[in-house]
Amino acid sequence: MNGKKSFSRKTAGYLLLIGLVACLPAFLSGFPYGILICCFIMIYIIAVSGLDVVFGYCGQISMGHAAFFAIGAYGSALLHGYFDIPIPITMLIGSLMAGLIGALIAWPASKLVFHFLSLATMAFGEIVYQFISHSPGNITNNYVGYYTESVSIFGFALDTNLKFFYFALICTVIFLAAKNRIIDSKVGRAFIAVRESSHAAGGMGINVRKYKVTAFAISAFYTAFAGSMYAHLVKYISPDTFMQKQSVMFLTMLLFGGTASTFGPICGAAIVMLLNELLRSAERYQMLIYGIMLLVVIVLIPGGIYGTIEQKVKSYMKKKKEVRAGAESK
Amino acid sequence: MFWQLLISGLVIGSVYGLIALGYSLIYKASGLMTFAQGDLLTLGAFLGVTLYSGLNLPFAVSLVLAVLLAFFLGMGVEKFIIRRLLDKKVMAIYIVLATIAVSYIIQNGTMLGFGTKTLYFPAIFPFKTIKIGSISVQTESVVCIIVAVLCMLVLHFFMSKTKLGTAMRAASMDRLAAEARGIDVSLTTGITWGLAAGLAALGGMLIGPVFGVYTTLGSTIGKKGSAAAVTGGYGNMYGAMVGGLLLGIVETMVAGLWTSELKDMISYIILLVFLFLKPTGLFNERAIQD
Amino acid sequence: MLKVNDVTLKFGGLTAVNHVSMEVQDGSITGLIGPNGAGKTTFFNLVSGVYKPDSGTVEFDGQVISGKPTYKINEAGLSRTYQVINLFKKMTVLENVLVGMHSKLKGNLIPALLRLRSQREEEARAREKAMELLRFVGLEDKAGEEAGSLSYGNQRLLEIVRGLASDPKLLLLDEPAAGMNSKENDDLFVLLKKIAARGVSILIIEHDMKLVMNVCDYIYVLYYGEKLAEGLPAEVQKNPKVISAYLGGGERK
Repeated sequence: MNGKKSFSRKTAGYLLLIGLVACLPAFLSGFPYGILICCFIMIYIIAVSGLDVVFGYCGQISMGHAAFFAIGAYGSALLHGYFDIPIPITMLIGSLMAGLIGALIAWPASKLVFHFLSLATMAFGEIVYQFISHSPGNITNNYVGYYTESVSIFGFALDTNLKFFYFALICTVIFLAAKNRIIDSKVGRAFIAVRESSHAAGGMGINVRKYKVTAFAISAFYTAFAGSMYAHLVKYISPDTFMQKQSVMFLTMLLFGGTASTFGPICGAAIVMLLNELLRSAERYQMLIYGIMLLVVIVLIPGGIYGTIEQKVKSYMKKKKEVRAGAESK
Repeated sequence: MFWQLLISGLVIGSVYGLIALGYSLIYKASGLMTFAQGDLLTLGAFLGVTLYSGLNLPFAVSLVLAVLLAFFLGMGVEKFIIRRLLDKKVMAIYIVLATIAVSYIIQNGTMLGFGTKTLYFPAIFPFKTIKIGSISVQTESVVCIIVAVLCMLVLHFFMSKTKLGTAMRAASMDRLAAEARGIDVSLTTGITWGLAAGLAALGGMLIGPVFGVYTTLGSTIGKKGSAAAVTGGYGNMYGAMVGGLLLGIVETMVAGLWTSELKDMISYIILLVFLFLKPTGLFNERAIQD
Repeated sequence: MLKVNDVTLKFGGLTAVNHVSMEVQDGSITGLIGPNGAGKTTFFNLVSGVYKPDSGTVEFDGQVISGKPTYKINEAGLSRTYQVINLFKKMTVLENVLVGMHSKLKGNLIPALLRLRSQREEEARAREKAMELLRFVGLEDKAGEEAGSLSYGNQRLLEIVRGLASDPKLLLLDEPAAGMNSKENDDLFVLLKKIAARGVSILIIEHDMKLVMNVCDYIYVLYYGEKLAEGLPAEVQKNPKVISAYLGGGERK
């Protein structure tokens, strides 16, 4: 039908949204902390979108994504600190390393079913956490933490939150667009097929193990890149940030927003991050509130916020269409 | 040195074993996995220390009360959260996350209820150490090992010889057939979750006097308990205990004789090695691959 | 085309398939029948690579395929449907067919990321072909709907189209008529003939004797994991061993 037209309308919608986000700092000019929060939200959007590739689309659970976040952060910071490699390059190298490690872990893990995969990924997360807090030769400065510098692109240092905001926005757009393209291809269809029925996927000529490994590698790359962004925004990393709690938070963001969509991770990251900020004053009760919130989401809106809205809109449209069809047939 | 390490290894190992027993029970009875065992252990330890030193109850009475309270809490979690989610047919991840949420609530709850300071059990036994051959061992350690092993035996007896235990095993094997035989399956699964929580609390009561009681006491023990369960063969009762003891000994030996930096990593490495190479564990529990 | 040489498969102490040999001729429709529990689906799983035979071999197109993973066997040109409907329920009807084409598409991660011209053209061609296949079975109106929302009969049809999407040389159909009403059943008969006319050989498990006897060129009968009889439909129908097996097996159709 008019596929071309609706496609361009969709693109226009995306561009409008990006434009609006780009204008955000103008409204937050009196509130610099707000810009920082936006930066964090975008970092989490990339990390959670990565988790979405492996969990939402490919159906493989990871309880250890904080490990990839850590590999990206420490990988980039240490490569810059010890070998003086320019930072955007270290971010890419760190993320590629994480992708490789993700693939190496996924290769044997791809045989495991859900619960045991969650144990394996949890163990992997703990091992990486233990490694950065008891590193050989103290290269990560262990519990003391490691200081690093801002991103600098061809000598242009992103040393303010505002500059980083635009850098993060560009990265987010690129990563989300890339995710869309992957999902909308043979590779993405294979991921979903593996999630829906790995048995039938194999029967349709899909090398199930290869695609599970691919999904893990892509996912690790995304989350690690977000980790490296985090490292060079905060300019200080310590093992505390990469505990199992962080992996659970990524999962919470994803489920809160809704899986297997572009906007699910966006909604999830933004809402959970904002809630975290609002609850900052109640830090004593943070985990309690967090736990209760998690239970409420699980029990009341298991499709996630964006997922539930999408469902509602879809069924409304369908009803409208049926009504119209009914009217026409009369 | 070696014997001292062996004893400490057995102490922590028997606690891993108790936690692993809980995991195995739940997995056998419902095919589910919980992540709340560790924090239930913390809660049990806090309840115990409060009953014992706060209310001046005898140690055995405090222990039984703490275990009972945890038992009902465990049953409540199953009845009000897990069962509801199962009835809604949610994805398995939601059940895992629900148990994590419960563990967060317990952890934060114990912090609010009992404070952030480490609490110590006052001396429980009239003599501080027991001499075995040439080495002297803390009395609490010996009690810990003995009670854990006893518990394992009692549980085995309960599962294989009593009516309720048989019903529980039947319910885990074939839910529908068990229901047709008049077994109240939702009650038996509830009891399983209660038992697992009770075992965790017992672990807390045993390790508390040795380590002291603090809010994050159980979080690593809980995770290592799952390593123990996998090592033994997830779902196997003997496997859980053997896996726990083995893990405790290996971990303590590595830390004592080689390097303490690997102490917390080694269990997770063993967990991964087993999952990747021999997922059925030492006791060759039924295949867990797809 | 397909040659099964003396295969045996054991589960523990139980012999599920016992020294069975059979052949599917090029361009033919071959039937595989037998009472419930005869091991027909197990036999299919053996041929399609879900199980490996304990002894014996499966040859396809002159190549030994037994022991190869399922996806390789699909790549070799052997496709299948499932007795218990096994569609990708949350994907659309069209996407299900596109997944069926998987082994025929070259596209990969990098071309997809860069949205190269070759990639876009291949995708467009694939979609066109998928639509053409859906038209072939009359599902084109449903292309955008979720596979899980289709009626039972349509889900069976979609399984067949998905199997056809990889341009197989041989299609294994596991009880395609199960749960279909009599009109759908008649349509299926026509469809099977049309598929054979496209040059795709078919091996079919089916309980509906009328359909089997009308559509098949040759029939094998399995009974408790063993080959009981084989022959032309008319011969098999008259075979006393087959008749008693069906009566003894408590199933008459």
